[in-house]
Amino acid sequence: MTAADVPAAGLPTAEKTLLSLGFMRLADAAPLIVAQEFGFFARFGLEVELVREVSWANIRDKVTVGALDAGQMLAPMPLMTSLGVGGLRCALLTGLVLSLNGNAITLASGLYERLGESCDAREDPLAIARALARHVAASGERLTMATVYPFSTHTLQLRLWLAAGGADPDLGLRLVVLPPEQMVDSLARGIIDGFCVGEPWNSVAVQAGVGVITASGYEVWNNAPEKVLGVTAAWHQAHPGSHLRLRLALMEAAHWLADPDHRVAAVEFLALPRYLDLPAAQLLPALTGRHQYRRGGPLVENPDFLVFHRYQAGFPWRSGAECLLRYCLGLLGRSLPAGDIVTLADTCYRTDLYREAAAALGWTAPALDRKAEGEHAEPYELEPGVRLGPDLVVQGPAGKR
Amino acid sequence: MLVDDHPQRAAMVEAALAECSCRVVSVLPSASGLLFQMEHQRPDVVMIDMESPDRDILESLSVLNRHHPTPVVMFAREQDPGFIRQAIDAGVSAYLAEGVDPVKVRTAIDVAIAQFERYHALRRDFEETRQELEQRKLVDRAKRLLMAHQQIDEAQAYAQMRKLAMNSNQTIAAVAAGVIALLDRGSGVPPG
Repeated sequence: MTAADVPAAGLPTAEKTLLSLGFMRLADAAPLIVAQEFGFFARFGLEVELVREVSWANIRDKVTVGALDAGQMLAPMPLMTSLGVGGLRCALLTGLVLSLNGNAITLASGLYERLGESCDAREDPLAIARALARHVAASGERLTMATVYPFSTHTLQLRLWLAAGGADPDLGLRLVVLPPEQMVDSLARGIIDGFCVGEPWNSVAVQAGVGVITASGYEVWNNAPEKVLGVTAAWHQAHPGSHLRLRLALMEAAHWLADPDHRVAAVEFLALPRYLDLPAAQLLPALTGRHQYRRGGPLVENPDFLVFHRYQAGFPWRSGAECLLRYCLGLLGRSLPAGDIVTLADTCYRTDLYREAAAALGWTAPALDRKAEGEHAEPYELEPGVRLGPDLVVQGPAGKR
Repeated sequence: MLVDDHPQRAAMVEAALAECSCRVVSVLPSASGLLFQMEHQRPDVVMIDMESPDRDILESLSVLNRHHPTPVVMFAREQDPGFIRQAIDAGVSAYLAEGVDPVKVRTAIDVAIAQFERYHALRRDFEETRQELEQRKLVDRAKRLLMAHQQIDEAQAYAQMRKLAMNSNQTIAAVAAGVIALLDRGSGVPPG
């Protein structure tokens, strides 16, 4: 038997082998589901129970009190929970980013028609945002737009997109929070006029003919950190071996998912009742990166629509954490001294834990903890063997964020 | 207000609440427009099943504080009393295990209100500190403008503003803002 057959050989012992992991009904739960269904957890000596949760607050609370060992979390969640901004304060950390991108902004079909801009010509992802801003200014119509959680890339991407088009997200618009499953129905009933949500819910709206995708999350913020594997600092301290094995299994699953053929194979499992419980047709666009932006429209190719593994996707960049933190604090009208932001990013985004896992797999990991953000329009090589993706963020007419 | 997908339990809770003289303004299942119901009915406390997806809606209301913020009591299916204790220790909400007796319901509501007030007091403190800081900056800037404009020292500038504030029955920050508006035109004094 070779070492490759027994990847767990030589690893630190797992303090706990029976683990429970929380996930949400979203396409980017794929690494967790694949790790379970294709035996990656088992290869690292873990027996994992995947628990489908219904709200981000639940995942955070259950991880905090130990009812879950770890969870799929929104990228800002370890930071904001460590800061205690939701009222609940607990030191959370991540040593692994699970995915980049994967969200989209969808408008109600009726509103889209009134704007008179086509989303089929993808020259300029902001054309519709500008048309929307003009419409809001001219009509005085107070539109309601939804995201899934206050401190999320969804909220940031929606606000950035609106502002880039020239609309003030705090004036003439109402931003609310709704659970992902309620988005499409609320859009169909006219309760909301648009939303920014993770897949498959945009494609569900398109396929039902009630919504039109007007921008992908990628187009707003290239390769934003999206979901992370979150644990409490105390859990990590008590279970460093189990945590390492968990990261290794999920890194292998993400690596497997980087192959387009594997993604199509994964859809069948994601669709199962115990996971997303949705038809495969609704999950395929996100996993293949081929979307119809409106029902009957042409296919739009977004190879980076939802990124696993590629571009060092798993690496928890502290520079990215700092961006998220600044944006989220901005939502609260708060700021922190620059030193505190650096410390919080260092504490919650554990680059050292990623490097530990990458070394165990023999993968190259970045030597730096921070990179330039918002400067690259093309993929580039940061260090030998460390190839990163574009990182631009849309800017408003006056550069307003 | 009660958000629960189990009508039987909702009825039990409603009865228990009536016993401790709380009135339930409405009982809703999940996904029935909680956000809009909250705005309409303005409940004093919301009780919600922890397993309801509507939780993130409530959380957004309490975090962003743009709407009417409301204490929240949660039903937890976890039977482990440690879970509830830790959850309460960690955060804003009160959790209530299954099995609804009026005393427990009342206690949970009281805990939720207390937690909520504690959190909002912290938040108010933070706001006050921030405002104080901004006012101090304003006063400093006005002082420097006055010093440059009238060729006086810092103590004199401050005394002038104080006197003006007392005479006009305004706060010193308001006077400082007035001074800045008046003098801050190409004065060459860098902003504070």
